[in-house]
Amino acid sequence: MPAEDTSRATKLAGLLRSGGLQSRLRQQIGVVIALLLLILVASLVSDRFLTVPNLLNILRQVAIVGILAMGQTFVILTAGIDLSVGAILGLSVVLFASLLEGHGLAVAIPLGLLAGTLVGLVNGIGVAYARIPAFIMTLGMLSFARGLAFIHTGGTPIPILNENYYYVGNGYLLGIPIPALIFIATLIVSAIVLRLTPFGRCVYAIGSNEDAARLSGVPVRRYKMLVFVVCGFTAALAGMVFSSQLSVGTPIAGQGYELDAIAAVVVGGTSLFGGKGSVFGTFVGTLIIGILANILNLTGVDPFVQQLAKGALIVVAVYVMSRSNRS
Amino acid sequence: MNDGLAMHPLLEAKGLRKSFEGNTVLSDVDLSVLPGEVHAIVGENGAGKSTLIKILGGVYQPEAGQLLIGGAERRLRSPRDALAAGVVVIHQELSLAPDLSSQENIFLGHMPLNSLGVVDQSEMRRQSQQLFDRLSVQIDPSRLAGELSVAQQQMVEIAKALSFDARVLILDEPTSVLDRDRVATLFQVIERLKAQGIGIVYVSHHLDEIFTIADRVTVLRDGRRTGLERVQAVDQEWMVSCMIGRDFPPHAAHTRSSGQPALEVKRLTVPGEFEDVSFSVREGEIVGLAGLVGAGRSEVAQAIMGLTRPVRGEITVFGRPTRISGPDAAARLGIAYVTEDRKAQGLLANRPVWENLTISNLRRFYSFPFLRPRAERDFVQDMVKRLDIRLSSVNTEIRNLSGGNQQKVLIGRSLAVEPKILILDEPTRGVDIGAKQEIYAFVEKLVSQGVAIILISSEMEEVLRLSDRIVVLKGGQVASTMSRGEASEESIMRAAALAS
Repeated sequence: MPAEDTSRATKLAGLLRSGGLQSRLRQQIGVVIALLLLILVASLVSDRFLTVPNLLNILRQVAIVGILAMGQTFVILTAGIDLSVGAILGLSVVLFASLLEGHGLAVAIPLGLLAGTLVGLVNGIGVAYARIPAFIMTLGMLSFARGLAFIHTGGTPIPILNENYYYVGNGYLLGIPIPALIFIATLIVSAIVLRLTPFGRCVYAIGSNEDAARLSGVPVRRYKMLVFVVCGFTAALAGMVFSSQLSVGTPIAGQGYELDAIAAVVVGGTSLFGGKGSVFGTFVGTLIIGILANILNLTGVDPFVQQLAKGALIVVAVYVMSRSNRS
Repeated sequence: MNDGLAMHPLLEAKGLRKSFEGNTVLSDVDLSVLPGEVHAIVGENGAGKSTLIKILGGVYQPEAGQLLIGGAERRLRSPRDALAAGVVVIHQELSLAPDLSSQENIFLGHMPLNSLGVVDQSEMRRQSQQLFDRLSVQIDPSRLAGELSVAQQQMVEIAKALSFDARVLILDEPTSVLDRDRVATLFQVIERLKAQGIGIVYVSHHLDEIFTIADRVTVLRDGRRTGLERVQAVDQEWMVSCMIGRDFPPHAAHTRSSGQPALEVKRLTVPGEFEDVSFSVREGEIVGLAGLVGAGRSEVAQAIMGLTRPVRGEITVFGRPTRISGPDAAARLGIAYVTEDRKAQGLLANRPVWENLTISNLRRFYSFPFLRPRAERDFVQDMVKRLDIRLSSVNTEIRNLSGGNQQKVLIGRSLAVEPKILILDEPTRGVDIGAKQEIYAFVEKLVSQGVAIILISSEMEEVLRLSDRIVVLKGGQVASTMSRGEASEESIMRAAALAS
């Protein structure tokens, strides 16, 4: 009997160890394989592709959408959606520009980030407490925040002359583009929050079954609000990189970026129905879209045709994933 | 059925086999359905009932074996094929479009058209009325499906099946959504269908129903057929032994010594749901809340959990009057609730089992700034063992578990808050017999450890078996409170159903 007990215990321990990590990898293996295939194709198509400068360049190029997509992943994991991230980015871009004019970096950056976060908070309160559907709330905010950006500038772009600020979007640290570093840092922090904190765990629970989460004592409303706060913050962070890269605060910045961010999340395997996915997936999704654009650029494909390719990629990627999930 | 041999079966399955990822879930199963026959299929969860139904309904294709419909071999590649062959499945969870009328639901996909190619409303209404007449049910065909009671919706589903000229009707747990009166109505309808020569496959956990309604019974265990008999020739024990291949221990003798009052509810009122409900439960005691569906039992539980706001009355926890603002606050007071609606309010369906277990009390596994995976793992391991949850890995998504194991996980989840007061709402609904016994044993263990338990159940046997005292609700009010000695199936039913 005791022998039986111990063998049972070891079996149990085995079950438990056979682990989180493996099964998580298995879920994401599809996206990763897609990425590797794409890299393979890319390196065959163009010998300039697999060069360090080009790869770093890709990271720099995808950073803005990638950062946006990190916050978007939080929202989509709860089965929500944030359509206003492009507009929040635009608003933060003009705020960064005008704040830099009168004040220094030390004022402009925190305040610009705070502004985006507050817009996210408004979204969150609307969705979580006023129970306005996320689609509607953020659609309204898309227009509202964009309007604020136009009003703030009177429609004319504000030039950014601060030289230190220029480095945020264009500089290098240890040979790596700073936007890429910000992107990677956002990824790491997001992954840690989602995996290791109660907030992150509850994000998945809410997306999986909101009623069940509520009944389990999860503070559903608070956390549903918080994901929009996170998303607003990352939108402003992306706005910081954007404004620095362009050296101008233009109110039309980031138009349509919400769709690119959602595309990255979805291609990365996160379910629009919530509860399933990860920021790592989103990272890979961002790269897939970015690399595709890069190959098409390197091979001189017409930009209009590039649009076709991106659209097809999104649909095909999601189709393939939904098939593989079923089997 | 005066001469079964002379009749040709409407549907015949021979040697069906099906496996998933190398796991054989059905092997060498035969089934035949005669005209005007009710053929019951019973078996524990995981015995292969759903797989069999899905093969008959064209959802799965068998790896071996054949299907004969009306004597001719047919391959059902899709539910559409099955429909065309006259085989219709009515699932446990009804699937009407709530915003369409009953007649539109009935003719969804094959609506009668007039000469202009537009849906012929009056023809549709006429035919719907005919179908309802065939069933002798009174439903206005133009009412929205969403406005109908569950029992009526079920009738619309049956009418819909008839509109496809169903010859074989497969009813999957049809009574699980019905209260007692409605079950009788359903059985009348089944009798009428029998008289019209329709063959019925009847899947149910409720063995007593089978004796009332079925002609023959097929028992499945572990994907094989372990019994096929005429119902008249067998008894409940025969079925149970075919289903589980083992004997049950007799009911444990019942000598509980209860402690101090744990939870007292006084004159609690939530308008429109229940009124002036009072009862109490002590440490180490099980109080059963009995009553018909709609009597307000779950609503009382939800008010205790702080999900609804009582306008009157008080809740006292261990002598201290409290206001409970929500499940989180309830958990802090040591109160946990296991929902009756596993799918809608319980399962984090696409999350792994271990996350499902710990979600109710992450605080316990948390020390700033991170969750402690080791503490979670220990708890999960402990629960898997204590509740004997059977799974291939705790990383499995919970939706892949059988109903019984899902229920065990939810009970385990409620234990994460170390409850002193546990409310179990229909703890064995949709759970197979084996798991049921295990859950009973576990509940008895909890109560012997001093947990106060409120048991809400529609299963009379369950309430009688487990409870020390029974509170019967009727129309949102306490109709009767009885001790274990006073309670019987009859006295409870009388209190729950009869006018006082």
